[in-house]
Order: sequence, then C-alpha cells, then structure tokens
Amino acid sequence: MPGPFAAFKWEALLSDWNVFAEGFGMTIAVSVLALLLALVLGIAFGMMGTEKSRLFRLVNRCYVELIQNTPLVIQIFFLYNGLPYIGIQLPIFWVGMLGIGVYHGAYAAEVVRAGILSVPKGQFEAAMAQGFSYRDTMRHIILPQAKRLAYPPLTNLAVNLIKNTSVMAMIAGGDLMYHADSWASANLYYGPAYVVTGLLYIAICFPLATYAKHLESKLEVSV
Amino acid sequence: MSRVIRLENIHKSFGKLEVLHGIDLEVKEGEKVVIIGPSGSGKSTLIRCINLLEKPEQGAVYVDQVNLLSNTQQLSRVRQSMGMVFQQFNLYPHMTVLENLMLAPMKLKKESGEEAEKTALVYLERVGLQDKAHSYPAQLSGGQQQRVAIARALTMKPKIMLFDEPTSALDPEMIQEVLDVMVALADEGITMVVVTHEMGFARRVADRVVFMADGKIIEENAPEEFFTHPQHERARQFLSKIERAV
Ligand SMILES: Nc1ncnc2c1ncn2[C@@H]1O[C@H](COP(=O)(O)OP(=O)(O)O)[C@@H](O)[C@H]1O
Ligand SMILES: [Mg+2]
Repeated sequence: MPGPFAAFKWEALLSDWNVFAEGFGMTIAVSVLALLLALVLGIAFGMMGTEKSRLFRLVNRCYVELIQNTPLVIQIFFLYNGLPYIGIQLPIFWVGMLGIGVYHGAYAAEVVRAGILSVPKGQFEAAMAQGFSYRDTMRHIILPQAKRLAYPPLTNLAVNLIKNTSVMAMIAGGDLMYHADSWASANLYYGPAYVVTGLLYIAICFPLATYAKHLESKLEVSV
Repeated sequence: MSRVIRLENIHKSFGKLEVLHGIDLEVKEGEKVVIIGPSGSGKSTLIRCINLLEKPEQGAVYVDQVNLLSNTQQLSRVRQSMGMVFQQFNLYPHMTVLENLMLAPMKLKKESGEEAEKTALVYLERVGLQDKAHSYPAQLSGGQQQRVAIARALTMKPKIMLFDEPTSALDPEMIQEVLDVMVALADEGITMVVVTHEMGFARRVADRVVFMADGKIIEENAPEEFFTHPQHERARQFLSKIERAV
C-alpha cells in the first residue's frame, strides 16, 4: 500500500493545480470583501459603543455579544439554510462574505471601541471647542489617533478572518478548503491536498502576522 | 459696550452633586475677566459652560446675543468665534504644529491650504515659534506647547478667548513666556475670560476679578480693590493662602 505522501499523489495534485488555484482565488476574494465589511461594521458599531446615548451603546452590545457568543458555523448555516425560509436566497459567495464579514465585524468593533476610548478626553474637548461637529471630530482627530492603537489587533483579526473563510467548505463555498477537500475525497489523496492547502494559507497569513508584530513593536517604541 | 457673554442662573450637576448653584455672569466686549477661587470651586465647570463643553441643566447661556441652549444649530459657529486654551494644552499629537494650526481654518472656514498656512505662520511668529512649524507637539516643552495652543485658537480669529488655568501644568520657568503672550493678546482688545491664580497677570490685565467658592460667585471687583480690600471672609482666607504660597 502506498504512503499518504506517495509521489504519484503529488503528481496528480500538480496536474490539477487549477482546482487549487481557483479555490485560492475565491478565498482571497471573499477575504478581501469580508475584511472591508468587517472594518466598516467595526468602525460604525465601535463608535456606537463609545457614544453617550444609551441606545447606541445597547445596539453595540447586542451586536458584539450575539456574534461573539455563537459559533461562526451557526451564523453561516443561518444565512445558508435559514434565510431561504423568509424568501432570501443568497449566492454562496455572498453567504460566505456576509457571514464572515459580520462575524469579524463584532471583533473589529471591540478593537475600534478600545482604540477610541484610549484617546484622552481632552482631544474631544479641544476639537469640540474649536467648533468641529461630532463627525468631523471623529474623522480628523479621534479616529486617526485610535487607528495607531487599533492597527496591530486589526491585522491579527485579518489573519483570523482569512483562516475562518475555510468554514465556507461546509456549505460547498468554492473556497480553497472546499476545493482541497472535495478533490481529496474524490481520489483519497488527502496528504498532499491538505499540506498544499496549509501552505497556501501560511503564504498569506504569515506575512500579515509578521506585519502585525512589527506594528506592535513600533507602537511600544513610540508610547 | 455690548455684552458678549451673559450667563443667567446657571445650575450644573454631575450626577447627584450640584457644582454650580445659580451663577450669573456678564462679560462686555473687550473686557478681561479673571476668575479665581479654591480648587474644586467650579471655575473650570463655569468657563466650560460658556462654550457648552458642559451643558447646564438650568439657566441660560448667551454669547453674542445667541441663546446657545436653545439654538444648537448655531453652536458650531459660535464656538468658532471663541478660542479655548486648556490646562493640558490638548494639541493634536498626530499632527505637526503647522497642521494643528491649519486644521480648523481649512475644515471649518474652507480656507485653502495656502491661505491657512500663511495665517498659521503669522500666528506662530506672534508666539515666537515659527521655527517649530514642522515639529510634533511631543517634541516641544510645555511652555511651547501652550503657546502653540494659543496660536491655534487665534488662527480662527476669535472675538473671545477662554483660558482655563493655562499655566498650572507648567514648570515655573515656563510660566512667564505663556503669560507674556497672553498679556500681548490682552493689549489688542480681545475679550478674555481667564481662570488663573497668577495675581501679577490679574493685576496687570484684568478689568474685573471674579472670586468663586463652593459653586457660587462670592465677590466681583476691580483687581486692585479685590486684592487689597477683599470684602468676604472666604476671599480673605483664599488670598492669604496663595500669597503665602507665592
Ligand atoms: N466630569 C465630572 N464628573 C464629576 N464631577 C466633576 C466633573 N468635573 C468636575 N467635577 C466636580 O465638580 C466640582 C468642581 O470642579 P471644577 O469645575 O473642576 O473646579 P475648579 O476648576 O474650580 O477646580 C469638583 O467637586 C469636581 O470634583
Ligand atoms: Mg479647574
């Protein structure tokens, strides 16, 4: 019996490289869009979490707690199996993008909220006293300062997001994990399939994680 | 002369604690008013009520005849005409000195970058810091930061300047450079409300000294009168304490 990493299995993978390339492309596309969505949600809900208004803070808490305390898989299944019951049939790509974006948006909201709260109150006051609106104060004075602190955790968040796109495999999402899995279950060449898949994830995640560490060390120097 | 600031029966609480118990204060155009009083007496809260950084629960705040509590859509415009200088400077640390000075004129008055830079450099020169235009606030001494903060307020060409203990966070050797800038400013006829314990400054500049204690105005008088013949026991006690300290 040939071993799990027999040479002919690698050859088979090499000749089917386009299957993996397709999955890799899909994973990157979903990651980029979901990350953008997560950032937009993170900024919007993170800002709500720092508001004086109790209603806004309540909305922030509901979103964050609901999302952070249920598994991502359930949220994806809800979008995939639940929404059609109320007449909303989303393409798989959208299910993945929305599910993953909304899930990480909750974590981004916490990062943004902490970043904003770390900016001294005097900064708000100076800007308001100059006549800036709340919006402009946020945009020109508070968020740029919050950003410095939020960058390293947000970069780590991007790494997690990319890895978590693999849950799309459970709904036949066409992503890297899905293609690797279905290719391997057709020919049972699991060894090379998972090794190559793992390496592809490393290829994007490791540079990002290294970048996050670099940002963190820069922050330590400047604080 | 017209009254540019009028506070009527201001009550302000933080939670259950009322810290201002019905304050009335009027400031005329061009007048310099110095507010003094023991720590915790409500001086900061009072001066912050003038531009509504603190919102009183009761009473009225008029600036330039505008009732700020009932005309919120005018608040931004009125704030633009009132500069404020804080004890902790509050410069924007992520911007250079020049950018600190240019932000409000560009974003609020829609001045071009060129125009804003020209104005900024004029005011930086006035506070003697044109060579620091491209420094970041963290690279400046406290006294320099406070002078930049004053210049930043002036770039909006305000009619009124509010100062909340502008020299209290400074090392002693830097106090004078900031006071000098403030005295020069006072000589130009701008309306000023200054919370400070610098008696030399008050004597030199103030038209009127307002003494506060326990959230009330206890006494108002011309500086010479106030410092030499305080009418109330609280004022006498307070003056003897700061005189001993100086
Ligand atoms: N944001 C705040 N929250 C709660 N209490 C406050 C706040 N600001 C001021 N106070 C209280 O109000 C009182 C007056 O404070 P303040 O106006 O700063 O006095 P002063 O400037 O004369 O030292 C103090 O008892 C202070 O503790
Ligand atoms: Mg004070």
